Amino acid sequence: MATRTVCQLLHRRFSSTRAAVRPSAAEILNQRNAVFSREQARQRSLYPRVEKIEVSMQCPGLEGTLLVMNKGMSTPLSCAKHLTEHHVTNSAVALVDGELWPLHQPLTHSCSLTLLTFKDSDPTLVNQAFWRSCAALLGQVLETAFKDDFSVELLSTPEVPVISGAFCCDVVLDPQLDSWTPSEESLRSLTRGAQQLIHQDLVWEPLEVAPSVALEVFSHSRCKQEEVEQKAAQSPKGTVTLYRCGDYVLLSGGPLVARTGLCSQYEMTALHGLGQGPWGLHRRAQGLSLPVQLQAHHTVWRKLRERAEKLVEVQRPAETVTPPSPVDSTPPPTNQ
Amino acid sequence: MRLTLNLLISHGRVARKMGLGPRSRMDLLRNILTGLVRHERIETTAARADEVRFYAEKLIDYAKKGDTDEKAMKMASFWLTEKDLVPKLFKVLAPRFETQLNDYTRMARIPTKQNLDKAKMAVLEYKGNPFPPLYPVKKENELTLINQLLKGYREEKAQQLTAKA
Repeated sequence: MATRTVCQLLHRRFSSTRAAVRPSAAEILNQRNAVFSREQARQRSLYPRVEKIEVSMQCPGLEGTLLVMNKGMSTPLSCAKHLTEHHVTNSAVALVDGELWPLHQPLTHSCSLTLLTFKDSDPTLVNQAFWRSCAALLGQVLETAFKDDFSVELLSTPEVPVISGAFCCDVVLDPQLDSWTPSEESLRSLTRGAQQLIHQDLVWEPLEVAPSVALEVFSHSRCKQEEVEQKAAQSPKGTVTLYRCGDYVLLSGGPLVARTGLCSQYEMTALHGLGQGPWGLHRRAQGLSLPVQLQAHHTVWRKLRERAEKLVEVQRPAETVTPPSPVDSTPPPTNQ
Repeated sequence: MRLTLNLLISHGRVARKMGLGPRSRMDLLRNILTGLVRHERIETTAARADEVRFYAEKLIDYAKKGDTDEKAMKMASFWLTEKDLVPKLFKVLAPRFETQLNDYTRMARIPTKQNLDKAKMAVLEYKGNPFPPLYPVKKENELTLINQLLKGYREEKAQQLTAKA
């Protein structure tokens, strides 16, 4: 509490200069949302006439099912709605011609479609998508939880395998918060923020855009713009995929699952310091979540939770911008 | 030998009375056992299935002695009323249970008969038959999210243990 008041005092001294350069969080959200809606409307208007495509289902028990859908309008979810409620509620992502495809992305050509669930015989792809979405949700909570006085920059989310025990989200908090370590209560309140989003059952709407649009969306964040350029250079089509969850627009490295309601047990477990980086003090937020279809008994959950509190090491590619993590990773286990 | 109280007061009469007498009982059980060997899964009343189960297991024990054994051949030709099943018993069923010592059959209750006499019904089968399973098969998937998390947890625990030792 003491640090909080000191921070606020400090902030008041500098606020006159800061407020001039940085718009409020609500304004940024609105601007991003507006650009996203505009681009979505533009992409929808590319298909003024209703054209039909044929989608052949490949799920077990549905071989040979042929659905006639609308081009550029029907999503894999609307295909699922033609089947059963089980398919609607349980499918997390889709596989279109062997390529991972978000459930809310319109189909653009005749294809074969597989709906993937958490209980498939090989759910590795779904697990990765789920982990990615949980990390995205954590980023969303972190970015919207703080007051307007504190800026929050999300760094690119590291891809962590499920077996490492926790999903992570790298974040740079306001310089005023450098001395702040979150108490158990603050972690719990952040968890509650995530659980509210889960309760609202928001969908992650995907939108594939050219880098110029993505740059416009993230015009307030230099760090995100760099990430957009990097992602656009890496992707073969030269485009990046934006997602909107409620009124929050985010950039993702891969397909996310259909909606937030698929998470059931969700908890933010730790916030570790990673040392100084180019954008300020890097921190790694970690969490643990399980989908509705695979819930854990509370004893099992407690064990997994204890493990998720430990810092997850991420092997970064060679051209890293952050400082090497093994050097900084020695202290965190003591300050849990 | 006393296993239960019921066995003690039964004075050695452990088999059920069936049909019109001992001879009729044997004929009845022979017919059922022949059906079991032919179809490998049959549906009958629970009492008959339970009764025939003992003989079905015993018959496999004899069949495992091989078709050159005199006693085994005698048993097979007694219990199988349709003689074309004798080669099946020695060539198909006996090799199937070569590695197994007992428990060749499986019995499951099914809903009671509703139309005639409300008899308790059961299914009796030889294990390893080609039909769909009687009970749902338990699915063990190492790759689901929670199993992967638990696998990571176990590996970490094992590492900690070896580091301590």
